[in-house]
Amino acid sequence: MSGDHHTDATTARRVRRLETLLEEKGLITGERLDEAIDAFLAESSPANGARVVARAWTDDAYRARLLADGTAAVQELGHMEGSYQRLRVVENTESVHNVIVCTLCSCYPLRLLGPSPSWYKSEAYRSRVVREPRAVLREFGLTLPDSVDVVVWDSSAETRYMVLPRRPQATEGLDEEELAALVTRNALIGTAPL
Amino acid sequence: MARINDVGGTQGFGAIDTTDDTEPFHADWEARVVGLYNTLRAQGIFNTNEFRDAIESMPPADYLATSYYERWFLAICSLLERKGVIEPGELDD
Amino acid sequence: MTDAPPDRFPPGTRVRTFRHDPPHHTRLPRYARGKRGVVVEPEGPDELPDISAQGRGDAPVEQIYAVRFAARDLWGEGDHHVVLDLWESYLEEDRQDER
Repeated sequence: MSGDHHTDATTARRVRRLETLLEEKGLITGERLDEAIDAFLAESSPANGARVVARAWTDDAYRARLLADGTAAVQELGHMEGSYQRLRVVENTESVHNVIVCTLCSCYPLRLLGPSPSWYKSEAYRSRVVREPRAVLREFGLTLPDSVDVVVWDSSAETRYMVLPRRPQATEGLDEEELAALVTRNALIGTAPL
Repeated sequence: MARINDVGGTQGFGAIDTTDDTEPFHADWEARVVGLYNTLRAQGIFNTNEFRDAIESMPPADYLATSYYERWFLAICSLLERKGVIEPGELDD
Repeated sequence: MTDAPPDRFPPGTRVRTFRHDPPHHTRLPRYARGKRGVVVEPEGPDELPDISAQGRGDAPVEQIYAVRFAARDLWGEGDHHVVLDLWESYLEEDRQDER
């Protein structure tokens, strides 16, 4: 994190200068850059992942397709269209808890979860969760019994992972939209229960 | 021996700040950097793996002293220099 | 990729990763070098990042495998598992009779 105001102002100036240079060279335009930023934000939201999860909770056939081929199943709902990436959805059960990381950089299912939280990109998280996931999860307030197998998925740029959390108890009466509202970003990464 | 980005299992980074920040960017320039990355990559100026290589090739002390999107910006600059799109020093004051 | 050859490492294959410490970009992290694991599933083919990171257009396309490691085998302790996507050329079959 650069909380340093001076560094921030210096970098901002240099970014602006690079933009101007590249505009002069005819490589970019301000409008194209605006469009790229808007597209990045418009296609990417944790609400997308939540919708996918709610569908999987209420439709067993969809759930099976999602676990067999995540990319195709989320494309059914209009997500990740035209993406060069693949998606693998990993299911939490009574005996298995999944958690996602990218130790080498910061790969993340952006289209389904939106831009990642700062902690996901931090060296502290990336270094520790593959080594001592139970301790890391406790820092997030999640203590798992020893009987639960913790599986850490170290992502690549080509295949992104998303966790299918367990459906909370006493939610039988809720419809898909209400269920989606219960799903949190951290639950989709695996650092929180529902 | 490995590059500085290869931190899986490295000890000493300490506790995780689990604050759930929901803003995608902490400053406007961060968004511009993402826009630059997406636009230049789409034009084939560099590919994803060249970009990652440029981040990983940073001197370890610089890597650890810079923020996430500062690394992105420095990587974009070094790729553009290497490919002759900009001249070294062209961004300096 | 309709006429692609069958995968070299079907699910369940015991594999060993190379110890190689290359002087370029790679997706085999230090913690998983020279380790034993089991193939979960192929992820689908893609360019070898080690080559494409050098800006070369001739990166071979290889199958990528999700490989599962026991924490004990990675760190000498721990009861969890780690799954990592690894390109075919990072792996060799771990034959029981050679162990």
